[in-house]
Amino acid sequence: MTEASAEPLPLDGLKVLDISSFIAAPVAAVVLADYGADVVKIEPPDGDPHRQNWKNVSYPRSNVNFPWQLDGRLKRSIALDLKSPAARPVLERLIKWADVLIANFPPPTRERLKLRWEDVEPLNPRLVYCSLTGYGETGPDRDRPGFDITAYFGRSGMLDAARYEGAPPAISLPGQGDRATAMTLVAAILMGLRRRDRTGKGGWVGSSLYANGAWANGTTVAGAAIGAKLPPRRPPDRPRNALTNLYRTKDDRWLQLLMVRDDRLWEKFCAAIGKPGLAGDPRFADREERKARAQELHDALAPVFAGRTYAEWVTALSPTGIPFGVIGRVADIVDDEQAAHAGIFADTTNPEVPRTLNNPIRLGFAKPRVSGPPAAVGQHNDEILRELGHSDAEIEALKKAGALG
Amino acid sequence: MTDSDLPLAGLRVLDISSFIAAPAAAVVLGDWGADVIKVEGPEGDPNRRIMHDSANYPKATVNYPWEMDSRNKRSLSLDLKKPEARAALDRLIEKADVLICNFPPLVREKLRLAYDDVKALNKRLIYASLTGYGETGPDRDRPGFDVTAYFARSGLLDSQRYDGGPPGVPVPAQGDRATAMTLVSAILMALMHREKTGEGTWVGTSLLGNGLWSCGVIAQAALADAYLAPRPPIDRPRSALGNIYRTKDDRWIQLTIVREDKLWGPLARVVGHPELVDDPRFATQADRRARSGELATYLREAFEKMDYAYWQKALADHDVTFGVISRAQDVPHDEQAIACGAVVGTAIPAMPRTLANPVRLGFAEQRMAHPAPALGQHNEEILREAGLTVAEIAALKASGAMT
Repeated sequence: MTEASAEPLPLDGLKVLDISSFIAAPVAAVVLADYGADVVKIEPPDGDPHRQNWKNVSYPRSNVNFPWQLDGRLKRSIALDLKSPAARPVLERLIKWADVLIANFPPPTRERLKLRWEDVEPLNPRLVYCSLTGYGETGPDRDRPGFDITAYFGRSGMLDAARYEGAPPAISLPGQGDRATAMTLVAAILMGLRRRDRTGKGGWVGSSLYANGAWANGTTVAGAAIGAKLPPRRPPDRPRNALTNLYRTKDDRWLQLLMVRDDRLWEKFCAAIGKPGLAGDPRFADREERKARAQELHDALAPVFAGRTYAEWVTALSPTGIPFGVIGRVADIVDDEQAAHAGIFADTTNPEVPRTLNNPIRLGFAKPRVSGPPAAVGQHNDEILRELGHSDAEIEALKKAGALG
Repeated sequence: MTDSDLPLAGLRVLDISSFIAAPAAAVVLGDWGADVIKVEGPEGDPNRRIMHDSANYPKATVNYPWEMDSRNKRSLSLDLKKPEARAALDRLIEKADVLICNFPPLVREKLRLAYDDVKALNKRLIYASLTGYGETGPDRDRPGFDVTAYFARSGLLDSQRYDGGPPGVPVPAQGDRATAMTLVSAILMALMHREKTGEGTWVGTSLLGNGLWSCGVIAQAALADAYLAPRPPIDRPRSALGNIYRTKDDRWIQLTIVREDKLWGPLARVVGHPELVDDPRFATQADRRARSGELATYLREAFEKMDYAYWQKALADHDVTFGVISRAQDVPHDEQAIACGAVVGTAIPAMPRTLANPVRLGFAEQRMAHPAPALGQHNEEILREAGLTVAEIAALKASGAMT
């Protein structure tokens, strides 16, 4: 296999209108831009509210707007007040210009703004209209604004399922489900484009955060649909098997012991952790005993693992062949040689945020574009309007009418 | 609408992959009309047995994970270590549009199934590669799983924990299914490229890359030297009004009170503590934050007294905002899950409902799920379509390359 950039990008020339906010839908536009699309983002005069998310208490503290680099990159911005009647003709010219339109307004807002597929299809029947909702296009909750944590994680049963027995629900990370959902939207858009290229007809494509959460939780939900229940996960201090369990290290990190073949490895393990005496302990003489006395064995092992740091354990266990898993830290992965090989990070030409994440698609014939500083709100107003054929006088008139931000 | 109207009708896909992420990508292509042939070794894809083998899977008499990850595929069982099998596979590769492979790179090389090995057979072929950790580098040959590559290595599990608590626990195949959608997008980009140039190509993705993409906010922050502060445990929350509480029937209420000044009174009344409204300890938002542990104790004890259903109604009646934490068993019956197309009917009597893939198209419906194939169920049919003669098929069987 090879990853080279000898040919034009696969989406060169594709014109995308991103009329969406926050994360999942705008990220789909980012992925298209990464691979060559010309993305115009329509923002309200005060900008996509996601521009302010970096100050949110659930986000890591920083003095640079790091999430905007990720979610606003490679787009041009036009600030248009869609509530102003003067903005409508501009919007319609953009719709006629576009190959793809991405919208994530809740259905009633779309209706009010005349931005449903049936509203825009007459303007551009070749358009691929991509819709993201929280909960779908119909049904009792269709109008409910959906967020990653509520629609993708909470409603899908994932938060409830991803927890230890007796413990509170799992924690999801900012935008975690949004970014996964974006990849679904990209697939939907590409299917729409494939059909357009073959039939000449555009069409509606879309997805919902809820459906993506249910898909990610699909094994458990499919089991639940026929009455099977997820077995509770025992917390690490009450394991079913002490040898395939998590242990806390001296520096509050965690080591995942994965010793499935303890029939072969037990003595070696006891020596490797510096407790050769355990190997002769009659309580743990064979596999059955070790399983039956999982709690006792855990209680014996936990203080041993707590006695050394994570790095010391990795050094001690690596040469022994005793299988264990690494619970990585984001801090480590940014300098991880393997992440570089997997093409996960990329340099930018923005001095404020010099490195960013590539989207996870790799192509043998093209590399994702390098990003610079993301656009300020309305930075490309005049340029875009001139490209659409507006005269200077018309642009002036739009500004006066308050349609532009 | 017939299957031939589906957007991927006529697309021939060879699914030479195992477990979940890569086969799930083939499922999505099949849902939208592709003809998917699953090539399995003589033992079959180990995902056929995962429900029994993994202690973390819900158990049932129906092999629901296999049904879900193999719907609408045909199965061909070939022992790829035997040269006869390889010759037969080559006939299929010559006619395929897409080949999906998730062997670790070393195994691919041994089986001569790397892209460079097969592209000479079919220059229009799109080769879709899934790895745990990428195609090169020190860990390229390490087998990658959802929990190790997507969740543990990426830092997701470490970040998904309460301060002082153990790492998070993902649900089975959570990262695999998300990764499948990336692989589908990659394949569709390559198909677009092929339409323009006539040429096939290599595309791919890794579980590690997808795990980091999903936690992109914190990964991007880490690149800017900013780190997420650990989440305090629920008995000492940052805010008692944005905290999570257990109900009498062991369910959870996520309070999401943003308009605190407006909703503090109604909340105090609905939990049976009207006196707290005038309690000087909790008079202002700053007081409530400063004493969030104390306040959380009142709320925890109150929520534990009644069932989830009671609280759902009581909170809604008082306009107190909260997030729904559904259980997996609620989803298949949720009217909204059906409305958004997530839960659909099947043609599998023992498993009448399943999960649709999350792509929706206005111009086509996903194919209905039919029973997953038995191992080698379509051996002869597939080989005859590939142009093998009856004698050739018999020879293949006799050689032991096909079971």
